[in-house]
Amino acid sequence: MLEVRSLSKRYGPVQALDRVSASFLPGEVHAVLGENGAGKSTLMQVVAGFLLPDEGTVTLEGKSLPLGHPIASRAAGVEMVHQHFMLVPAFTVEENLALARLGSLAGTLDTARLAQPALDFARELGWSLDPKTRTGGLPVGIQQRVEILKALSGDAPVLIFDEPTAVLTPDEVDDLFRVLRRLRDRGKTILLIAHKLAEVMAVADRVTVLRRGHFVATAPIGEVNERRLATWMVGDLPTAIQPLDVPLGPVLLEARDLVVLGDRREEAVGGIGLEVRGGELLGIGGVDGNGQVELAEALVGIRPLRSGQIERRSRDPKTAATVGYIPQDRQADGLALTLSIFDNLMIAGTDRPGLRRGPLLRIGAARQWADRVVERFQIKIGGLSDPVSGLSGGNQQKVVVGRTLDAIPDVIVAMNPTRGLDIRATDFVHQTLLDAARAGAAIVLISTDLDELAALASRTVFMSRGRWTSTLLGASA
Amino acid sequence: MRALGRGAGMAVGLVLALVITLALFGLPVGESLRLIVDGAFGSEAGLSRTLVRMTPLLVTGLGMVIAWRAGMYNIGGEGQFVVGGLGGALVFHLAPALPPALLNLAILIATILGGAAYAGIAGWLEVKRGVPVVISTILLNFIALQLLDWAVSGPLQESKRQLPLTQALPNEAMLQRFSRQTDLHSGAILAVLVALGVFGYLFWTRSGFRLRLTGANPRAARASGHSPDAIRMRAMLLSGALCGLAGGIEYTGISGQLGMGFSQNWGFLAIPVALLGGLHPIGVIGSSLYFGALFAGTENLARFTKAGSTIVYVIQAVAVLGFVGLAAWLEDRARKRARPAEGET
Repeated sequence: MLEVRSLSKRYGPVQALDRVSASFLPGEVHAVLGENGAGKSTLMQVVAGFLLPDEGTVTLEGKSLPLGHPIASRAAGVEMVHQHFMLVPAFTVEENLALARLGSLAGTLDTARLAQPALDFARELGWSLDPKTRTGGLPVGIQQRVEILKALSGDAPVLIFDEPTAVLTPDEVDDLFRVLRRLRDRGKTILLIAHKLAEVMAVADRVTVLRRGHFVATAPIGEVNERRLATWMVGDLPTAIQPLDVPLGPVLLEARDLVVLGDRREEAVGGIGLEVRGGELLGIGGVDGNGQVELAEALVGIRPLRSGQIERRSRDPKTAATVGYIPQDRQADGLALTLSIFDNLMIAGTDRPGLRRGPLLRIGAARQWADRVVERFQIKIGGLSDPVSGLSGGNQQKVVVGRTLDAIPDVIVAMNPTRGLDIRATDFVHQTLLDAARAGAAIVLISTDLDELAALASRTVFMSRGRWTSTLLGASA
Repeated sequence: MRALGRGAGMAVGLVLALVITLALFGLPVGESLRLIVDGAFGSEAGLSRTLVRMTPLLVTGLGMVIAWRAGMYNIGGEGQFVVGGLGGALVFHLAPALPPALLNLAILIATILGGAAYAGIAGWLEVKRGVPVVISTILLNFIALQLLDWAVSGPLQESKRQLPLTQALPNEAMLQRFSRQTDLHSGAILAVLVALGVFGYLFWTRSGFRLRLTGANPRAARASGHSPDAIRMRAMLLSGALCGLAGGIEYTGISGQLGMGFSQNWGFLAIPVALLGGLHPIGVIGSSLYFGALFAGTENLARFTKAGSTIVYVIQAVAVLGFVGLAAWLEDRARKRARPAEGET
């Protein structure tokens, strides 16, 4: 039996794991379920030795595992199949398999012999693999098989799969599940990190749910259903609060029959519509990866539509509608980390009247504006010329939120704007969004956090596979 | 103040690189330094030589700054320089009878367009076809040199058809010279003005801001509603335009005709110049001056000692490697200090 006791891990202000205890049995597929940021990956990385916890222990069959030493953890019998493949693309299948079993650096290398146990497993699992192909050219599903074989070849009793289905087609998922069951029947402990409920219900024997670093529950799969798991993941459905009590204005954002393609040309948004009035905050809930990013980008006009229409209107009929976008990943999409705080504020400032004269920027006026934003949104900085990368996550988000909402655009689309923020910063972002709505903006808030939606949204719809599933909370329109 | 301190530190470092290299070559350091400084700044002729070599380095270096700042690693300055020059020579070939001042202007405009068009090919290949600019521009350099070879011994060859050169420009159609004794021409002033213009563009215009944003994080540019592809394409066109202009200045300022030796690797040297200048237009004025002086000074050194002209390349390499290493080290240290207090699970 693999047991974790009272594991805690803190990153700066974020408590990624808070005294989490759980046990995992031989001969079971044990799903570890939670939203992004729930701590499931952190937990597994601690078990596999990649992360040193602040406190707590991990034991296997009663023996303590050395913490923070991945090689020692592997030697003790814990193998991890990584979400991002750790294959050398220029190496052949055989070479990659041998690499996982490389002994010392002395002596000669017999890749065929080292790879043999893994290839035997492949045959047993019914996978045909050419050991001499380069892995770089293989489809992801096959690459994952190589990754799994690497883990299997050591005959470790504990196998951890980090979101293995994220990159697979449905057929490949079925085959993976078949393999997981097979390994379980041989007495292995299979840990499966997941956030898709249907997959957990399909393959797991037991499930452990984490939420924001806390242990919520462990239960046999027969005793739960998707709805209960969802509640465990995101928290109890809170009682409705009505934060916005302003008269609704005209419809400022209107979308009809939206079809939007994702990055892999798949249909990410499948023919939905919405209408948001001034002073209204529409919440869109749902598990990540169900078309929210594509919908958000289409609404703000940076992703082309396959079909359908979007209209954005201004509060003031004499001017064109202004749009503000708070992207989900501030470091990837919101900020240019190598540029200064001033430059990052100017991402929204270059279009502000008053800060420009034709093609030129009015640097003096822009500096004054930047100072005002910093003051108004209480962003803690050294100087405007410092790189934005030196700010804490909360202050970085304030840069994004402040520059976007300072002028209160007519249409605002915010996506998980409080992810990774501490309580004070979260509250600040919430208040700023509500203030914008009170000033007459039409806001779309896309969030995976039900508490957040319940606290802020005038009404909430849920999204799954690019479509609305339900309208649960509020009913103002 | 901080920038000033960094500049001073760098100047010391560059002199140090020079001293070390001289010592490694077994040259008497004090005497060699005196010959180099004397050759670069010691006389009107020396100063002129320095500025004449600085000019193409500065303008092509600025071209690199624009492209690299947008995240387009243009290695094709040499090709764009040459094709720009060819565009100018073509104008002279087609309309030799234009009034001299107008001819000079038309040639410079043609070199700008030629360089831009040539860089545009690489930009288009990257944006539309996913061919990395690094690769396409290197290959386009070879094509440009072949094009030059063909043109100067074929369609653009001088009227007597004896030498592989284009027809020499009349003196009146050349850029103005300040003295009969030296080669210094008004292109040097133009180059400095271009540097100031590039500075204004990058830091004082909306378009320049977006160019820097795209280079720093194209996804942030996209999320704020600007197409990274269009911005990258524009950066390549501007970059090529500057490299082409550098060819035009060299053509109408110094050579007056094109031959296979038209570019003394100016377009390649532009890369270390731009890197040493910190990819900053004002910094590039300094680094191109340093390299210009180094060329002029080591020519003098080679005249009086056994040091070959190769030493200038060695010093360049030492300076650039030292600088790049130092910059990487500083960045690493800054990153470690500013480790964001935030974790991902």
